Amino acid sequence: MALLLTIYLCFWLGPALLTGWLAAERGRSPRLWFALGLLFGLFALLAVGLAPRTERPVDGGDFEKLFRAVVAVVVVVVLPLLVSWAFDFTKSRDANRLAIVAVAIALGVLGVFALFWVMDQIVDRLPRGWRETVRPYVFVGPAVAVLSVFLIYPVVNTILISFKDRRGDRWVGLDNYEFVFTDPSMLRSLRNTAMWIVVVPAVALVVGLLFATLADRLQRGESIAKSVIFLPMAISFVGAAVTFRLIYSYRPEGFGSNVGVLNAIWTALGNEPVAWLTQRPWNNLLLMVIMIWMQTGFAMVVLSSAIKAIPDEIIEAARIDGASEWQVFRHITVPSILPTITVVTTYMVINALKVFDIVFVMGAPENNGTEVVAERMLTWFFTRQNQGYGAAVAVVLFIAVIPVMIANVRRFRAEEAIR
Amino acid sequence: MSPNGDKEMTMRMRRLLIPLFAFALVAAACGDDDDAGGDGGDGGATGGSDTGRVVLLTAMEPEEVDAVQAVLDDMINSEVDYTAEVEAAGNFEEQLQIRAEGGTLDLAAVPQPGAVRQLAADGSIVALEDLGFDIDELEEIFGEYYLSLGEYEGKHYGMPTNINLKSMVWYPKDDFDAAGYEVPETWDELIALSDQIVADGGTPWCVGFESEGATGWPATDWMEDLVLRTAGVEVYDQWVNHEIPFDDPAIKTAAERFGEILFTDGYVLGGAAASADLAFGDAPGPMFQDPPGCWLHRQASFINAFFGNFAEGLEAGVDYDWFPLPPIDQEGTLFAGEFTVVGSNRPEVKDFLDRFIADDVQCAMGSDEASSRISPNTNVGPDCYANQILADASEVLIDALENDTGRFDASDMMPPEVNSQFWTGMIEYVRGGPSVLDKVLADIEAAWS
Repeated sequence: MALLLTIYLCFWLGPALLTGWLAAERGRSPRLWFALGLLFGLFALLAVGLAPRTERPVDGGDFEKLFRAVVAVVVVVVLPLLVSWAFDFTKSRDANRLAIVAVAIALGVLGVFALFWVMDQIVDRLPRGWRETVRPYVFVGPAVAVLSVFLIYPVVNTILISFKDRRGDRWVGLDNYEFVFTDPSMLRSLRNTAMWIVVVPAVALVVGLLFATLADRLQRGESIAKSVIFLPMAISFVGAAVTFRLIYSYRPEGFGSNVGVLNAIWTALGNEPVAWLTQRPWNNLLLMVIMIWMQTGFAMVVLSSAIKAIPDEIIEAARIDGASEWQVFRHITVPSILPTITVVTTYMVINALKVFDIVFVMGAPENNGTEVVAERMLTWFFTRQNQGYGAAVAVVLFIAVIPVMIANVRRFRAEEAIR
Repeated sequence: MSPNGDKEMTMRMRRLLIPLFAFALVAAACGDDDDAGGDGGDGGATGGSDTGRVVLLTAMEPEEVDAVQAVLDDMINSEVDYTAEVEAAGNFEEQLQIRAEGGTLDLAAVPQPGAVRQLAADGSIVALEDLGFDIDELEEIFGEYYLSLGEYEGKHYGMPTNINLKSMVWYPKDDFDAAGYEVPETWDELIALSDQIVADGGTPWCVGFESEGATGWPATDWMEDLVLRTAGVEVYDQWVNHEIPFDDPAIKTAAERFGEILFTDGYVLGGAAASADLAFGDAPGPMFQDPPGCWLHRQASFINAFFGNFAEGLEAGVDYDWFPLPPIDQEGTLFAGEFTVVGSNRPEVKDFLDRFIADDVQCAMGSDEASSRISPNTNVGPDCYANQILADASEVLIDALENDTGRFDASDMMPPEVNSQFWTGMIEYVRGGPSVLDKVLADIEAAWS
């Protein structure tokens, strides 16, 4: 028993100490590499088949035992060196980029493979009754851990930063929130965002529904008509904003002819050219038009498929009973596709809450009164480098999304209950 | 192993595959990050692998990189046993931060003094003193002021390696001469010239301040130039360091001078309010119409790169030229430039920087007609420049550095919040006219808190 324990310790702590020492030699973190070494050791133990199993005891001839011993030595001595070398390689400047990528991927994939193999082996050594209960958690665990790191940690950290000063050094209580709800520019952004989440989904939905209903009646060319309206969806927000910059473009008198489409139409009607993007409050609407232009196609496509899913019998029955087209639309089509309308609205409300690129590309928001919440967040966080203000705005935005999400989840549950 | 065991094994492998695959992707993407924490300990000062290369990280345009690299190949790489390379990074700020923290930074040409001091505070760059430079000698070469901008806690971190002039007034030379106008030497002459142009039925000034999210910066340059000229360098330094408030009478005086140009009837083409919506790159255009739509345009040295958009084959010194914005009560020259910082204390890096700032290399850099670099080395004379515009600008700049009348772009040295409010405030002023000036200055002052 004592001998076995010694072998265990040699195999397990040996590589850990070795890698830890190697790391210290090279000015790396010894603790991290000691931990990695423990993993190597575990690997070695399992590879050599020394760890006891409740099932499937190690059998096999001398050759297999020898083979296992060689594997164990390789794991303990060669693996740390190999991994260490691979880490160095991925950081070297002279190496071929592709080779670096290949090594990094190999390191990641094999590392994960090793991790899961080791965990699986450990689970195999648990008492029989426990095994299948524990295994799912062991496999889901890393994913949950990664999700926490990338989702929960940032949320918590943002909330903490929102109570600190501009560089995150000092606690300032609610000062940042006071700023959010008193600064004139911030208040304008709250008002504008409120307008965005009402106007954009409403208009896009109504126009999308109109197109979907009418396209449904087309004898032919329905797919072409729908494709044309859906196309803007494929353009990025920044791309669309740049396109509309040209449409709204303005040059003062004397600076050459106006190249903007809107001003071309406007002056053709006998008016003076106008700097569209600075006309308060209409410039806000001009910016919303961009998002409506992009989102209508989405609303139309989704609603159209919902309309097509309405059984013909219901509509025919209504018509036979003498319902007018409007009555069919009002009392059959709309109620039937209501769940789809809710989903589309939720999606567009969240998109409108997040809008930033359009506003940012179109001139100076603060001078033009076109601020929105997400734009304020980026401006304060990056342009003005005030982390506290930026984080407070982010938290407000985060809280604003929650009711929309809750409403959506509730509706989804209710729907499930009906089925 | 029993056949049964094999079968169990394959089944287990199959169960393993799905989460494994998903996790592998994630881990492959972020696996290398795990190590970064462990490696951070050795810092920038001693880091950097000992390769035979010295890399200068920059935010230069490709043409500029080619021009500088050609000089390095010709005058440095041919004589030493390492290779000096200029690298242009599209995401310069990010790359600088990553390399400085990772200890893989050799040298970088940083455009803001604030960034130099931040890197110094983080401990990721090496002081020029620690590299063995003699500061007195450097002050002799670059002037005390420029060198002092890269100072942090008594040590100097930023080596001036490029400079550009902001106090330039461009004019359409051929038409200007034909109309019999003279280049003004004083502010009064400038105003008299403007009045003369109005009397002749023309419009003197073209101004444009629109620049997307940074709209207003060309107006802050105007303000800085006027603070220098009305209040002088001492007040300018106090203003930059917030030793006087932003709504100090001295600053207000400068803003009123700016208003004199903006709001005098007939001075600004299209009117001052419209200039806030005019892209700064489009603003000089009317100078090249026939007859010129405007005659004067104040903008930094980079603007002649835009002139090609307005007419074909414009020639410097023939179709257009420039004169320094004239002094008012004080002399002053506004400039911006780059600071080379050192991230790795290796002998070849020091040797490179020594050679890079030397008179002959700096002079050779101006020999390319396409180069837009001006040397801050006061020993590099105007004869070094193939381009007459740069030669003239260099003369003004060297004179300013030697006589301590040159000052660095103020808004770039103020905190980002103030800078941003400065842009916004200037646009409000341009649109709102003299009546909103007090509020505008008070708002910018409030951003300092």
